Amino acid sequence: MRKLIERFIAQLPLDFRVLYRQFLLRVIDLEALSIQADIPRFLGQFAGVLLMLSLVHMIGIYASLSFARSPEAFLAVSWYFEHYLIATMMLVVGLFTVVAWDSTFPDRRDAMILAPLPIATRTMLFAKIASSCSIWLLAIVTLNFASGFVLPLLLGSAHGGFPGFLRWLFAYWLTMIAASSFVYGSVLTVQGLTVLLLPRRLFLRLSAILQLASFGIFLGVYFLQPSLSSPPVLAEPQNQWIFASSPSFWFFALFNQLNGTLQPELNWLAHRAWIGLGFVSAGSLASLLLCYVHTMQKTIEQPDLVPGARGLHWAPRLGGSLTTAIGYFTLRSLIRSRQHRVAYAFYLAIVCAIALSVARGALAAPGPGAVTRGFLMSTFMMILFAVVGLSRVFALPISLTANWVLRVAQLRPTEKYFSATRQSLLLIAAVPWWIVAAALSLSFRPVHQVAAHLAILAVIGSVLADLSLIGFSKVPFTCSYLPGKSNIQYVFWCFAMAVIPIVALAADYELHALNHPRDLIGLGFVLGPAAWGLWAFNRHRAKSAVLYYEERPEEVITTLGLIAPRSFVGHGDGYTEIKHES
Amino acid sequence: MNTECYIDMQKAMLELRNVSKHFSGIPAVDNASFIARAGEVTGYLGPNGSGKSTTIKMITGLIEMTYGQILFSGKPIHDDLIAYKRRMGYVPEEPYLYTHLSGAEYLTMVSQLRDLPPRQSAERIDGLLRLFSLYDDRHASISGYSKGMRQKVLLIAALLHNPDLILLDEPFSGLDVASALVLRSLIQELASRGKVVLFSSHELDTVERICSHIVILHRAKLVADDSIEHLRSLMQLSTLERIFAQLAVEQDSPAIARQMVELIDA
Repeated sequence: MRKLIERFIAQLPLDFRVLYRQFLLRVIDLEALSIQADIPRFLGQFAGVLLMLSLVHMIGIYASLSFARSPEAFLAVSWYFEHYLIATMMLVVGLFTVVAWDSTFPDRRDAMILAPLPIATRTMLFAKIASSCSIWLLAIVTLNFASGFVLPLLLGSAHGGFPGFLRWLFAYWLTMIAASSFVYGSVLTVQGLTVLLLPRRLFLRLSAILQLASFGIFLGVYFLQPSLSSPPVLAEPQNQWIFASSPSFWFFALFNQLNGTLQPELNWLAHRAWIGLGFVSAGSLASLLLCYVHTMQKTIEQPDLVPGARGLHWAPRLGGSLTTAIGYFTLRSLIRSRQHRVAYAFYLAIVCAIALSVARGALAAPGPGAVTRGFLMSTFMMILFAVVGLSRVFALPISLTANWVLRVAQLRPTEKYFSATRQSLLLIAAVPWWIVAAALSLSFRPVHQVAAHLAILAVIGSVLADLSLIGFSKVPFTCSYLPGKSNIQYVFWCFAMAVIPIVALAADYELHALNHPRDLIGLGFVLGPAAWGLWAFNRHRAKSAVLYYEERPEEVITTLGLIAPRSFVGHGDGYTEIKHES
Repeated sequence: MNTECYIDMQKAMLELRNVSKHFSGIPAVDNASFIARAGEVTGYLGPNGSGKSTTIKMITGLIEMTYGQILFSGKPIHDDLIAYKRRMGYVPEEPYLYTHLSGAEYLTMVSQLRDLPPRQSAERIDGLLRLFSLYDDRHASISGYSKGMRQKVLLIAALLHNPDLILLDEPFSGLDVASALVLRSLIQELASRGKVVLFSSHELDTVERICSHIVILHRAKLVADDSIEHLRSLMQLSTLERIFAQLAVEQDSPAIARQMVELIDA
């Protein structure tokens, strides 16, 4: 098999192979990573998260179907999982297209480097498509490797033994590929149209907005759309517009059409999937071809320079001069850098989805209601994701080569830099979402409980800011980041398994305390000193810390273990000495 | 006399004493010692890879030296690096800037990092942007600036706080003729006002016109440290180009060019 693949690759033109390899590494923008970045490992970690998700899906499918006693319950569970898996696949591919935004189209760098070389435009086009599709296929395979066999095995076998299994298997993988193609093609079509129709300067501006809008749409639709609970729900007239406008339901119907279990009244949804797929395939193909034929020259000729906005350039001070400098540098980096914007948008989309779900519940209620556990949990999660998310994004550098100016102009002690960074974190992440929480709390009563919760939330914001800045002796966006150093899959699962239950417990306790003034005072006596203690600890540590701009490798002492027993005696200068105990 | 502009020429001088920098045991700068005095422009010359930029980075404090001592106004710079940085302006070899900021935003950020009074720094930024013909593009993103425009931003950032020591590493890179002429006069004007100016360049004509004292580095070692006049009479050569060629150029340039063409033709 390997030899066959190698022989196939050898048959491909050399220029295609070289370009494919280059574009594959650039699907994820390397400018945000350090030169020591291990891209295969980096991608491997993301694949690891998807594989774990697939395993969890598999266990969930098996357990839920096993516990379904009646045929109605069995049908409801199977429908739920079918739709959930399709929607998740579409979300993952959607997020991938957002992260790899513009990577399929020729950019200025490609045009300037490759245009003078004797390389056919179609070679570039195919290499770009092939590199994007490689990552996209990796996502499909890893996310479905377990669930993609268990679901057809359990449901397909029940519908017709081994042939049934094979039919369901084929239907499952074809639907996943079709749904992913639909998402990928839709984004390509929209991007292609904007590239073709707009002047390049305007396109560059609009592209950033479109990217964020896509991000919001993918996450918003995923979190806010209803799940299928039973066939009657699907038939209810008030739900028809949701099914008609949500592509994940179209592909759910397509899946059922392919496996032969589609109810006749849902045929129209499956037709929509086919029509949508055809439309998007034609649109993306046409826009790609037109872009490569017509816009390469346009890209070279038209400058990327976007003239500065005319009018007001007022920037109020955010405190001291250092706080103002770091605050605006942070804000501008977040707004103007694609990598940082997308990385933070991931956290913000979750925060927005939580806020929207609370707002939806509040709007649906006839009047102000009692403070609930759900409301407390939601607001905690909003502040948590906003603060922790921004502090994680702080670690991504924006331009390592430009950091010299910060080092040459570093005229104040590290504690001042730490203080400015902390204030930026609070101003940009905690304060806006605390205000949103305050706005949402207007629909809850009694007022004194709401006020107490908002006060607690403010203290929690401060605690989270200090917790996320422990050991952070850097200016935001200036330190080299070594991807692969943090094991994303472990962090992801630790977060899901530890933080959510802790937040639930905290919300339970707070709800209890809100109804018992003595406990509320006790909570205040715990949270207040904790917040102050963390702040004082960080400040004290910053006094003796040195700002750094390069991620420091871990010090490792390797011994051959030839002489035993032994002991290590540490010295202040960092060296170690080996001494025999005997 | 404006006390801010005129500094004590006796005290303000930059001195390198046996400065060395080794990278993995290989010397990039080997035992360099020289003095750059206030009121004169010191030219720092050398072929590519001779250690000029490494020396300047050590003087800025960006990289640590392996051995030796750097003194400014008689004090080792590492004794109070922050106080030293307040008095130093630096234009690096490459115009590396935060390109997501506009020219005005970048300069404002630098002035804030240097804790300059807001009104005074705003006036200086506006004035220098106008004098460098960048005022109309001040709100455009630096990512769209040409190399010359970026160089101008670097020059403004280096002069904004009226430094006593000015380190210029290839400051003419990318500048148009008019801007280069302004910069040439500016360097001389700054030196005449008592600043210590250390100026590294490959443009020997410019160096010859504006520098009173030159230091030549070759293969990490100092091979000359004298006034141009004295070197001319000592070596009995008419131009700085000939002096430089004798001290730091080992190759037969026409022969190499001929070999290159033959290689392409073959």
